[in-house]
Amino acid sequence: MAGIWIFVEQRDGAIRKVSMELLSGGKELASTLGEDMAAVLLGYQVGPMAEKLAKCADRVYVIDDPLFQYYSADSYGESLANMVHTYDPSVLLGGSTFMGRDLFPWLASRLATGYAADCTDITIGDDKGIIAKRPMYGGKVLADVVFPQARPQMATVRSNVFPLKSLEEAARGEIIHIEPKEDSSTIRTKVERAEKKATGKVDLTEADIVVAAGRGIKGPENFHIIEELAEVLNATVGTTRAVVDNQWRDHNDQIGKSGKIISPKLYMAFGISGAIHHTMGIDTSKVIVAVDKKPNALIFDYADYGIVGDLFQIVPALTAEFKKALSE
Amino acid sequence: MDILVLVKQVPDTEAIIRAQSDTELDIENKYSLNFFDEFAVEEALRIKEKLGSGKVAVITLGSKKAVDALRRGIAMGADEAFQIEDPALEEIDGYATAKTLAKFIESQGYDVILCGKQAIDDDSGAVGPALAQFLGIPYLTSIVELKIAADKKEARAAREIEGGTEIITCPLPALFTAQKGLNEPRIPQVAGVMKAMKAQIQKFDLKALGLSPEDIRPKTKILKFYPPGKRPPVKMIEEEFPKNVEVLVKILREQEKAI
Repeated sequence: MAGIWIFVEQRDGAIRKVSMELLSGGKELASTLGEDMAAVLLGYQVGPMAEKLAKCADRVYVIDDPLFQYYSADSYGESLANMVHTYDPSVLLGGSTFMGRDLFPWLASRLATGYAADCTDITIGDDKGIIAKRPMYGGKVLADVVFPQARPQMATVRSNVFPLKSLEEAARGEIIHIEPKEDSSTIRTKVERAEKKATGKVDLTEADIVVAAGRGIKGPENFHIIEELAEVLNATVGTTRAVVDNQWRDHNDQIGKSGKIISPKLYMAFGISGAIHHTMGIDTSKVIVAVDKKPNALIFDYADYGIVGDLFQIVPALTAEFKKALSE
Repeated sequence: MDILVLVKQVPDTEAIIRAQSDTELDIENKYSLNFFDEFAVEEALRIKEKLGSGKVAVITLGSKKAVDALRRGIAMGADEAFQIEDPALEEIDGYATAKTLAKFIESQGYDVILCGKQAIDDDSGAVGPALAQFLGIPYLTSIVELKIAADKKEARAAREIEGGTEIITCPLPALFTAQKGLNEPRIPQVAGVMKAMKAQIQKFDLKALGLSPEDIRPKTKILKFYPPGKRPPVKMIEEEFPKNVEVLVKILREQEKAI
């Protein structure tokens, strides 16, 4: 029983950023343990991605099958369970994405093993087991979770936890093709279609830079100034519950307890008071900038940098200033 | 159609929670029905109302305050309530919770099982998928829309994914976890609250379910609790506009190297 496995998530021919981060982090964990790291890639027409992964991992387990075009626990889960039974890894990590958080708890119970969700760090303990650090109660408390006996130790990990490193080496890992046992009759959940939002932007949970506005933006017609700033910074736009409840923006854009938990390298909040529902969703952001009219706004307690001022004046000026700085 | 909703009484979002020691939390006495469970209860009631027949049951696992979640469910309109209560259930994880619930549900046979996408105390979101696994039924998580086919044999749901939604069908019985946006949960009426106060809660312990403490031994253990690292104090940029904007951009580029 050995080896760290990274469940690699792909969509539309591209590997998710969080999966590449996990491969970077997994490599270090594996070298600490003196074990190998393998990537597991499931999907359809994933050949080029498997080749790319072979440069990063010691082994790549691949299922490339039309039935695996869309994710279902009936296909991905059953196959992974069989692969774990066969190869017996000690650790299995995946991204804390909608897919990861759907698949991992199902798979962990199928394998009668432990699972730690939405972790913000993975380290190795004295006993060579992993220690999974995870926020609880919306981040009011952190917990170190361990896995006393059951293997593999399973965890989903947030974006931007492990820094992306260049992993490509001359030595090429082995690609192992696995034939799925499933046929179309065993897959009960069927994806009819996927509806993408038009923006084409990186999702909030994976973005390096997030810019958001709260009720201070006064109306949906004013969001264009935030969009323009986002455009210059290649950032993703977010918002608060109050704005979504007013139907000024879609729920997909909501940051916070009942929306998305973000952990970007830079978060900029404009006209956001800093209600606890919201700040619970931004706590693992690296740098937080807040701009608000009220000097006593709660958001300033969470920010690294603050400006008291009018967002309608400051946002366009910031856009212009960043544009200038980035063109230099 | 028989519908079961998993509910949990959890500390309110506003409650103050601190790590008292490595293994103990100090939780302010402010509890409510888990935010996401409200959507699950509401959806169950809407399915029943739309079909014009069937039964909605709520179930919880735990002691003391746990029963308040059941009463809230009844106040909203659920028909019956079950509580699984046993000292051995005090310190368990998602695996053990799901295994216990599965044992109860196996003997009942529900067409639809609903729960919140996660409980806002441990924030795991593990029980729904794990329970579906134990029961051998399909499941869909984080749904924002649910339609039950007229023949009651199939469901169509919209599930939130990064940057969009997926429309998925699956046969019943199935389990669904509710995301915000699924519906607008109703506020219980006085008559409902009165009914809830008098409602009979049917209780079960592990023995009644044919389980031993050994069967539900958790697979994970919390080594310790600790407070999140405090963010450094805010640095206010006091310069007048537009100088403050220049200063901020300079800091973000040169000092923080964030852009």
